[in-house]
Amino acid sequence: MRNVGIVGVGYCPQFVSKRKDVSIPEMISEAVDAAFADSGLGPQDIDAIVFGNMHTFEGVNLPHLWSVEHIRALGKPVMRIATGGTTGMTAFHAGYYHIASGLHDVVMVVTFEKHSEGDAQVGLLGIITPEAVAMMMAGIDLTGEGGMGAQGGGSAGAITYQAVSWMHKSGATIDHIDAIAAMERRNAAKNPYAHLKDPEATAEKIAKTPMISYPVRYGHVCPTTDGATVCILASEEKAAKIADKVAWVWGVASCASDPTTGNLIEGLITDPAEQMQCVIAAREAYKRAGIEDPKREIDYVEIYNGFAHQTLMYLELVGMCEVGEAHKLLEQGELEITGRLPVNASGGVVSTNAIGTSALNRVTECALQIMGKAGERQVEKEVHKALAHGWGGLMQYASITILADKPKKL
Amino acid sequence: MAGKVAVVGLKFACAPDLKTTRERLVFELTRGLFDELGIDRHEVDTFIMCSNDFIDGRTISTVFLDAPSGAYLKDETKVEMDGLNALIYGWMRILSGQYDTALVVSLGLTGSQASPYLNIQYSLSPTYERQVGLLNELAGAALQARSYLSRSGYSEELLDLVAAKDLQLAAKNPRQGRRLEAVDVDKVRSSDYYYEPLRELHCYPRTDVGCVVLLASEKKAAELTEKPVWILGAGNSIETYFYGERDLSRSPSAAEATRRACSLAGISDPSKEIDFAEVSALFAHQEPLLAESMSLIPEGEAEKAYRDGITGPGGSMPINPSGGSLGGHTVCAGGLLRLCEAVLQIRGEAGPVQLEKAGTALVHGQDGLCAQQNAVLILGA
Amino acid sequence: MMEETRVVQGAWELSTFHFNIEARGINLMLEGFKEKKLKGIRCHQCGMVYLPGPFYCRKCHVKIDEPVEISDHGTVRTYTVQYADIRGNPMPEPRVSAMVQFDGCDSWVMGVVKCDPKDIHVGMRVKVKWKDQPIGNMQDMEAFVPE
Repeated sequence: MRNVGIVGVGYCPQFVSKRKDVSIPEMISEAVDAAFADSGLGPQDIDAIVFGNMHTFEGVNLPHLWSVEHIRALGKPVMRIATGGTTGMTAFHAGYYHIASGLHDVVMVVTFEKHSEGDAQVGLLGIITPEAVAMMMAGIDLTGEGGMGAQGGGSAGAITYQAVSWMHKSGATIDHIDAIAAMERRNAAKNPYAHLKDPEATAEKIAKTPMISYPVRYGHVCPTTDGATVCILASEEKAAKIADKVAWVWGVASCASDPTTGNLIEGLITDPAEQMQCVIAAREAYKRAGIEDPKREIDYVEIYNGFAHQTLMYLELVGMCEVGEAHKLLEQGELEITGRLPVNASGGVVSTNAIGTSALNRVTECALQIMGKAGERQVEKEVHKALAHGWGGLMQYASITILADKPKKL
Repeated sequence: MAGKVAVVGLKFACAPDLKTTRERLVFELTRGLFDELGIDRHEVDTFIMCSNDFIDGRTISTVFLDAPSGAYLKDETKVEMDGLNALIYGWMRILSGQYDTALVVSLGLTGSQASPYLNIQYSLSPTYERQVGLLNELAGAALQARSYLSRSGYSEELLDLVAAKDLQLAAKNPRQGRRLEAVDVDKVRSSDYYYEPLRELHCYPRTDVGCVVLLASEKKAAELTEKPVWILGAGNSIETYFYGERDLSRSPSAAEATRRACSLAGISDPSKEIDFAEVSALFAHQEPLLAESMSLIPEGEAEKAYRDGITGPGGSMPINPSGGSLGGHTVCAGGLLRLCEAVLQIRGEAGPVQLEKAGTALVHGQDGLCAQQNAVLILGA
Repeated sequence: MMEETRVVQGAWELSTFHFNIEARGINLMLEGFKEKKLKGIRCHQCGMVYLPGPFYCRKCHVKIDEPVEISDHGTVRTYTVQYADIRGNPMPEPRVSAMVQFDGCDSWVMGVVKCDPKDIHVGMRVKVKWKDQPIGNMQDMEAFVPE
């Protein structure tokens, strides 16, 4: 076992709907340069590269092959990780194991997505293409007019079932979802790398956005964004020489369940709000990090919230509060940047979603908070330990990363 | 690092058309392997899935493969490259000390596709190469073959020698996909040109492959098998994407990957210290090209080596004793097929194609057009 | 950064794929529809009842094939009311759909619920409204209706 720390973070200059001025490799290169600038390192210092994105969204297979020069990887080991929404974090985990294994000392993790160059709905529908075709041949009406299988539209459809089930369990209402969405948009306004910003967002404004499918409104849904994020990791010996401020990895874990609402052929057996894989991954990460009382020991949390209700739902599932408590903490203002349990000061995924980067951004935002480099969105309380969460696939993948401000005692 | 992680079990299926579903394929392979070893899915600490969305025709192609592989509510991740890289990741996870076992689950089904050689289109740049439309896997390989023959001065007959050797071995090997009767140099030469100088029988066939490999730490390996095969070293390297800027007659990235793997394994002269190699040569010319670049045979001596039988099963550097990728190959699972054959050789279980001397092996896998990226592993008894 | 840019078109066609799908569970279910019955598969090891039935049990990782009849009465476990379609176009009338757990079954089945959007709630009891003349097609299960 070796300690591994984050020594550099690089974002491309802006996360917006359409980057018309750069191609995919060029956009990635911006983030690489930013990470080098942040860490003071150059291409010669990097031992290996881990690359992640969801390539079906752009229609370019294995884009690390095309971007070799732009990720400064000529001659070097490059590993490609792709796990749906959690890609950013699982790529980070792969980078972590490159170093923890003892094989490499300094590893660069590169993630991106350029949604404007593809069709996100097609990419999403592609997850279940054969199942959908089979059901259509068996007579299912995917527009849901009648019969078995109605689920609204795209991933917004399946998510609504999750939201309602969680609301039933926790006692939260749609007003709470409006309120958390507004909080995240206000936070995003403080983040130069966020996409949807609104410093004057309120629950009332969110409530006025059209309802897609109860309880999900437009104002609750993440955008599709073009962006790239790069993170540089180093072993303990090297990290000390590279950076004054390091965010140390104390525990990582992943877990996969079955494709909840997608199991049209094999039968669905999971409450989409149960997310047992998230509970298991969090438990494992805490164990590896030596954390026994997360509520007391974790100071800051970044939740992967493609949909606003997920901030509250996952906060409960990772054990940062009891079921039914998250919306109360929201009411009391405790989840704000100024609060006692600040969450998603970055604005979360609901404000910025370049899918390949989204789960990595949860880690980098936690790292910046620990290192005190989060600028205007730096939270008030001191951040010694932080938890980053990711989910992906058909609500079936979960990844957790726990960071701290000093190396773990091995 | 040497000797700390071993391959303790494997199961694979390779055929022109497995006539099955993806879910059933991974279920049968994992369930079958668990039954053989007397374990169940809970003794696997982590699952490393390996399949390619574009080959499978679906986003996040492993969404429906986790549960049948036994990964329901288990630690799981996915590497989307040649399977040897997924294995390397499993190796890293065990080396970190956090895991004792790792199962690599990989598949690629191209048997029912119109043409496996079109898949490479999607990894070409959409802004230029795809627009120009001249490059596909066959065209690229043909350019590489011509470049190789031209620089080395070898004759086109070398391609026929390589293909005949591999296809004859594949015919003897019951585990292979393409098994042709009575194949010799003449039969190879009588197959149609696809893109000169490559003929049909110089090229890998469309194949359905599924493959699972179980890795274990030193202490766990003893519980699971009497014949562990150790990972002595591994390396990976990549060249530039821009086709016109590469030296197509050599593989600098295969050379670099080999250097890295041998350095970890403590091997200074592969041509003497490696007993045999299983190489992902997707086209006949790639076998000698890669063998030279990986220092298995000296540069300039490939044609002689093939004519004299040095690279055949009775020679001093057998390459692809299983019949290699010309007998069956697919994206992702391809490199793992080569690994499985190498492991069987080392364990003395290779059957009709068993070599006499099979203690240390070099295994190779590739990604990208004409092996833009290469992974090399060194295995030993 | 480039000053000049250009947009080029591309396409990803899925039409060349042949997908093989496990059909036992769907076939069994559609056969059951013809008799206005729900037919699923039970795991002999842990007792999980799936609809449609898979060929293996997710928890036990063993092959299963024990057909079992399931009640067509069940409970709403979660639901939604749809106001716009996948591309954001408003629907003429809101549509209620739910995940229903039929009595004796572990699977949740999705479908349209014919009821007033104001009435749908978690825990509501529903039953299948069958087509008068079912033909072994997904449309045989017309909708769920309050019990």
